[in-house]
Amino acid sequence: MTNLLDAANIRGVYYTPTGEEVVGVDNVSIQMAEGEVLGLAGESGSGKSTLGSIISLTARPPLIVEHGSLAVDGKVQDLSDMASIPRVWRGAVVSMLPQGAMNSVSPTMRIRDLVFDVMRAHDGKIKKDEALDRARDRLVTLGLPTRALDAYPHQLSGGMKQRVVTIISTLLNPRLLIADEPTSALDVSSQKALIEMLLEMLEKEIMSGVIFVTHDLPVLRTVATRIAVMYQGKVVESGPTNTIVDDPEHPYTRALLSSVLTPEPKYAKIRIEGMRAFDRESFKAPEVKH
Amino acid sequence: MNLARYFLSKIGWYLLVFFVALILNFILPRLIPGNPVDALVAQMTRGGGASGDAVKAVYENFMKEFGLDQPLWKQFLTYVGNVLQGDLGTSFAQYPASVNSLIAQALPWSIALQLPAIIVGWVVGNIVGAIAAFKGGWFDRGIFLSALFLSAIPPYCLAIILLFVAAVQGGFFPVGGAYSFGLSPEFSLAFFGDAITYFWLPFWSIVLVFIGGQAVGMRSMAIYENGADYVNYGRGLGLRDNTAVRYIFRNAMLPQITGLALSIAGMIAGALIIELVFSYPGLGSLLFAAIGQSDYPVIQAIMLILTIAMLIANFFVDLLYGIIDPRIRAAQSGDR
Amino acid sequence: MKSVSFTPRFYVAAVMLAIVLLIAIIGPLVVQTDPNATVGGLYDRPAGWGPLLLGTDNEGQSVIANLVYGTRTSLIVGLLAGTIATIIGLFVGIVAGFRGGLVDNLLSSLTNIFLVIPVIIVVILLSVALDNRSIFTLAFVMGITSWPWLARAVRAQTTSVRTREHIDVAMMSGANLPSILLRDVLPYLLSYVVMAFVLQVSGAILLESTLSMLGLGPTNAVSLGIMLYWAIAWGSVRTGAWWAFVPPTVMLTIISFSLLLLQSSLDELFNPRLRRGKIRRKKGADPRFELPAAEGPSPQLTAAGVVEGPAPIQDTPKEGGR
Repeated sequence: MTNLLDAANIRGVYYTPTGEEVVGVDNVSIQMAEGEVLGLAGESGSGKSTLGSIISLTARPPLIVEHGSLAVDGKVQDLSDMASIPRVWRGAVVSMLPQGAMNSVSPTMRIRDLVFDVMRAHDGKIKKDEALDRARDRLVTLGLPTRALDAYPHQLSGGMKQRVVTIISTLLNPRLLIADEPTSALDVSSQKALIEMLLEMLEKEIMSGVIFVTHDLPVLRTVATRIAVMYQGKVVESGPTNTIVDDPEHPYTRALLSSVLTPEPKYAKIRIEGMRAFDRESFKAPEVKH
Repeated sequence: MNLARYFLSKIGWYLLVFFVALILNFILPRLIPGNPVDALVAQMTRGGGASGDAVKAVYENFMKEFGLDQPLWKQFLTYVGNVLQGDLGTSFAQYPASVNSLIAQALPWSIALQLPAIIVGWVVGNIVGAIAAFKGGWFDRGIFLSALFLSAIPPYCLAIILLFVAAVQGGFFPVGGAYSFGLSPEFSLAFFGDAITYFWLPFWSIVLVFIGGQAVGMRSMAIYENGADYVNYGRGLGLRDNTAVRYIFRNAMLPQITGLALSIAGMIAGALIIELVFSYPGLGSLLFAAIGQSDYPVIQAIMLILTIAMLIANFFVDLLYGIIDPRIRAAQSGDR
Repeated sequence: MKSVSFTPRFYVAAVMLAIVLLIAIIGPLVVQTDPNATVGGLYDRPAGWGPLLLGTDNEGQSVIANLVYGTRTSLIVGLLAGTIATIIGLFVGIVAGFRGGLVDNLLSSLTNIFLVIPVIIVVILLSVALDNRSIFTLAFVMGITSWPWLARAVRAQTTSVRTREHIDVAMMSGANLPSILLRDVLPYLLSYVVMAFVLQVSGAILLESTLSMLGLGPTNAVSLGIMLYWAIAWGSVRTGAWWAFVPPTVMLTIISFSLLLLQSSLDELFNPRLRRGKIRRKKGADPRFELPAAEGPSPQLTAAGVVEGPAPIQDTPKEGGR
């Protein structure tokens, strides 16, 4: 069975204005099956957001993809030649849900205008009423007020904006949604609402897979089926969520988990050691795949 | 509704500013040590041989006529009353011509020159700036440098150069004035055809400098907006380039409109000097002559008119901005 | 400052400015002619080295001498006026931004009123009222009317600096207000103020020449604007006596252009967001997703001086940031 996603040998490099090269993603390959939520976890600077932006086809200078290939449902694209990737892949095959939806919608337009433009970009003949009806249905299905369509971005609260943007990102029923830290800017109840919405959408097959990029491990526990832990541009360990959380093998994964403050009964008994208890050199151990 | 409240507060604000300007307009020229009437009387009785008594009579007459024998606060009230009735006084230098008549002759020329120039300059400048931002490459480089240069030239310097190169040396355009000697202004095609040749150089002097400034500003704003989150997000959803450009333009326009109000004040000032350079019979030349003759009523009146014009321009720009920016137009109904 | 890389723009501006300064400072020593002395007839053509290098003007005075002294005058007036305006704007802005409350409301209202009243109007009215306009009175008049835009920008920046922790620390440790302002607030504003000062100076120079061309220039000195005034009033343009008006025009343009360029390059220097990088272009990079060399709203320099200043350096996130 073909994987939903097959990303191979991705290498992404940042070119600074002074000419230096900073490797963001160092020869990473990941696969996903249908219906999966893959959590990309790691500390700041690990490359998870960079990888997310590359897979969602939104990498832009100073980030340059040196080589890599992306296969969705078996259809392959060469990531080193961004300009040649068909425009319609973005939004309809892979779609991004950006970090901090605060400024994702132009402040001078209503939500419904963006909805119409996005749909029209993929189906030139669609009529405005039709497009808005579809959006309205989507909002209703997922329990959001339809008046959000008529609002300007500044009229929506943070949590509502994030959920509305999630809807916009999945309007075209993309195969894969890449969510970059979607819950980081939200309060706890909004986080829960968003995660529930994502899972509901997955169940309704609005999209077939989600890559959930976050530094927040406890969140991944509740939403991810598989987790890939990243450190300094490489994937150091990947596997089913339970394996990673309960039985991590790679030193870095262990260090990461030991610094998590979670009032779960199981961990309450364990003393939190944090990263300092580990030798950073041990983090360079080879990748562990479960 | 939010919008109505916005406008009302703006109107109130501008009325307040106008009042302050009125006070300044009244008080500042009266800080002169000495009496303007002295100069006036000296002028009138020059070469006369009028006796001391006669001069004194003339002097007192004028004092009464210009109300200069009243206490200051009374003068101010008279002044305000006159202004509100549209009476701007009598000229000192061209006595007994009324200031209104002098201004009525000059104002139409100034408006005919400056209004189209400012509009054309603003529109073309912004379009050029936006195109340069989106095209990039050599086109952008070239436009940016020339626009930067144009915007940095004092407008009258450009006018002088144009006058010299195109009119005096090149002979393509007439050297000064608004219409050919011997003709008198009228609404006829023939006159229009003649006046237009005098119109071009001053017009282009104003327009080119304005284009330079607007192009640089618009280009900057467009480039700035190009990297904004909503543009990346939109492109990430497969939006076409044209659509993204539309979003950028709409957002980049906002600060440009804000800047327009301030630019207008600057452009008007520059345009006045340009009128001087070309001996164009507008307010600029009138002001120049009035200053040279210490004709305070005329100077005051022109300053007042210019202030009103700039305030009105500011007000309309604020109005426009309130309509265009949804953050002001749409009430904060919120959905918390 | 870590990687201070001066751009070509900066060097071009600096060189042009240096030339102008050289002319202004050394010029009068080299050109040993009194600008008010009659050295020839009416509009004599340029002839050889010496006082007639650029011919004579409408009073038979040496153009080169007037040019050199005029540049000096224009620069002095500009510097004086710019300094006064910067100091006032800085003071008003810092006090308003730091104190907040009633003081802020009062100062801000004052600033806003004077922001809308056109500077040129007030300056003309004041200049007309003055009997004897010396360089210093003119500079004073221009300085006390050109500060509002700077005050507004400084106030905005001060308000944001005010919220930082080190200010609280300073206040808790008992430092008095002037010392807090000087040592804890000012350093953050310095880079912007330097840029703004450059802009103020160029605005003042242009404003002075505008006044001079209207006939309101300094009464006992020659400036570039006054040279143009005489050139226009005596029809040198019409008669083709280019040596009377081209040199001051060129000089004014160079001054204005180089100051604007300097301000723009300083902006690039101090505001890292604006730095243009040499990003190596790899084959296949999608140009539509390019990171821009962003420049914020640009300053507007007009015949009436500065009407809009450069965008203040923001390191606080935009509205709705993370």
